[in-house]
Amino acid sequence: MTAIQTQNLTKVYGDVRALNGLDLTVEEGELYGLLGPNGSGKTTTIEILTGQRTPTEGTASVLGTDPVAHPVEVRRPVGILPEREDPPSFLTPREYLEFVGEVRDVADVEERIETWSAKLEFQGVLDTLSTDLSEGERQRVMLAQVFLHEPDLVFIDEPLVNLDPLMQATVKTHLREYCEAGNTLFLSTHFMEVAEELCTRVGIIANGRLVAERDPRTLEEDLLETFAAEVERSAMAEVGHS
Amino acid sequence: MTLFRRMLIEEYRMHTELFGERRFAVFPLFTALLVGVGVYLLELTGTEMDLVVAGLFVLVFFMGLQVGTIGLVGRDAMRNVLGDLTLLVFSARTLPISQRRLLSTFLVKDLVYYAVFFLTPIVVGFVPLVVAGELTVAEIGLLWLTIAGMFALGAGASLSLAGIATRNLPALLVVVAAIVAGAVLAPEVALSLTPYALYADPGVATAATGALALVVVLVAGPLLFEPPAEGGVRRIDNDHYHRLRALGGGFTARPLLEVYRSSGSLWKVAFSLGVLFAVAALLLDRIVAAMNIDPSAGIAFGTLLGLGTFTTYNWVTQNDDQREYLRYPETMAAVFEGKLRAFLLLSIPTGLLYLALGGVLFPRPELALGVVVFPLLSVYVFGLTAFLTGLSPNELLFDTALFALYGAALMVVAVPLLVAALAFDEWALPAAAIAVGVSLVAAAIGWLLVGRTGPRWEQRLRTEG
Repeated sequence: MTAIQTQNLTKVYGDVRALNGLDLTVEEGELYGLLGPNGSGKTTTIEILTGQRTPTEGTASVLGTDPVAHPVEVRRPVGILPEREDPPSFLTPREYLEFVGEVRDVADVEERIETWSAKLEFQGVLDTLSTDLSEGERQRVMLAQVFLHEPDLVFIDEPLVNLDPLMQATVKTHLREYCEAGNTLFLSTHFMEVAEELCTRVGIIANGRLVAERDPRTLEEDLLETFAAEVERSAMAEVGHS
Repeated sequence: MTLFRRMLIEEYRMHTELFGERRFAVFPLFTALLVGVGVYLLELTGTEMDLVVAGLFVLVFFMGLQVGTIGLVGRDAMRNVLGDLTLLVFSARTLPISQRRLLSTFLVKDLVYYAVFFLTPIVVGFVPLVVAGELTVAEIGLLWLTIAGMFALGAGASLSLAGIATRNLPALLVVVAAIVAGAVLAPEVALSLTPYALYADPGVATAATGALALVVVLVAGPLLFEPPAEGGVRRIDNDHYHRLRALGGGFTARPLLEVYRSSGSLWKVAFSLGVLFAVAALLLDRIVAAMNIDPSAGIAFGTLLGLGTFTTYNWVTQNDDQREYLRYPETMAAVFEGKLRAFLLLSIPTGLLYLALGGVLFPRPELALGVVVFPLLSVYVFGLTAFLTGLSPNELLFDTALFALYGAALMVVAVPLLVAALAFDEWALPAAAIAVGVSLVAAAIGWLLVGRTGPRWEQRLRTEG
């Protein structure tokens, strides 16, 4: 079954073409990594797929739902972790997760909060104001809110940011187990090691286009080749325009 | 000097980045025009210009207080208000410059910046009075100088009070109590220590006494202020969140807790509306004395407090990043409904308390009109503010077009209500009927706008570049 599909997905911000005809297919159970440099269109892709933005052109389907036509519905079975987002400053992690549980109709939210705070090791700060937490603790709370409602598909932008090496290992193990249980993970990163180590398939995005899809085991050598070709293609296109 | 210049450029870039260069550039012109039209209309109604100028001094003082506070609230609070940014004033940990010097330069920069972009246009708005022969050119020059001083007094007072607060909180309460007692018991003496004294009675003696408080706060502020140490870790061992959720779910409980737990707690709601209440009480008192008419205190208090609830809207949205709500399987309409409940739960009891206080100052049965006008107008203000600014009411600052539209929409309701308040003395029943009618229509429009706000902002956030 296909979890995510896009066709000719394009997003233009003023003069900037953030996405330029992105064609992408992710099957259920995959741990798919979207790898690319800053500004290549990774965040915009996630925002469109989760109904947070509308594309300028193209179509998308997420677990059989059109995120453009049904933005609220598409968010129900998915978990979302944007890059650089913290829990609300003046709520405790427990209160924030209860808030998320309410919004996402989670019945046994207190039990799940205990489970996730234990798994991601933040039980000690469950009742501390979020503004007083460390960056790493905030990231762990944000990861917990992603999985609280047991989503079928998760979108994560830079999952390991601000985490210490031990917690990184814990999170990686959890993400693998999550996909082994038949769920799908769409991960966006600009760290090659993260994509290489975690993903079952890696798409390389540059200038808003999917330029290649690779097996993570041969990623490093392929990547240099792919980017060199993309730089050359962009340069030729520039010459053609002028 | 380099630091000062860089801070000045930084402030300018921050505003032009936030609001667009062209929109920001038009703002001083718009301010001058607005003040000019206001002064002209007040002149037409026969209002004493001394009263108008005195009101201007009060306004500028509060503006200074506000500006003086914003640099001191810390990086996190700034981020909540203005987004993710880093200012030079927070660079004491990375640059070999003391926090005290950074702060003093920041304060001077603010004084210069606001004098150029805000105070000068305000004074320009008074120039038509020179043409009309009401003011001389020398008086306009004096007005500029003294309101700049009043602004500096407000900003310096903020810094000084924050400085005392960082050292000794009880001392702050004693100082504030002393200032309030002085202002109430001996208002003439208190005023003689401000730059207003020089404007009201130009002379060497008033120049000296009028500069006294200003010099004290400008010297004491940077000396007293200690950068706040890293706060302790705050643990919450109560179930306020659960209890508040019963009032309307998470979208209501969350802003209520955010207001309660952020700096100033619930006091900031009371203070913001209290300023409007004080202005209304002062105007009523002066109008009775100067114009020999007895306006409706109920309609006047209800109107000004109702309009003042835009500050409450600001507090309930202060910690929001509106894009966050697009991650949840809920519509923006649900978010705004929750905000409305939180807004009403904070603003209505506070406003009613002030109306009760108004009853002590102006004990008349017609004060009951305020109980009708105030909540209805609050619904209008919520609907209008939410519709135009979404969850970022700070957009109103410096966005000339939006500010003009918002101001016009408030005036459309405020003018007939204030006219009804003034006419109440002569035509009590029709004036009361007009006030209630206008408030009902305004509330209906506000309610309609609330209904449209969610879809409008959802669409806007999803399509914005």
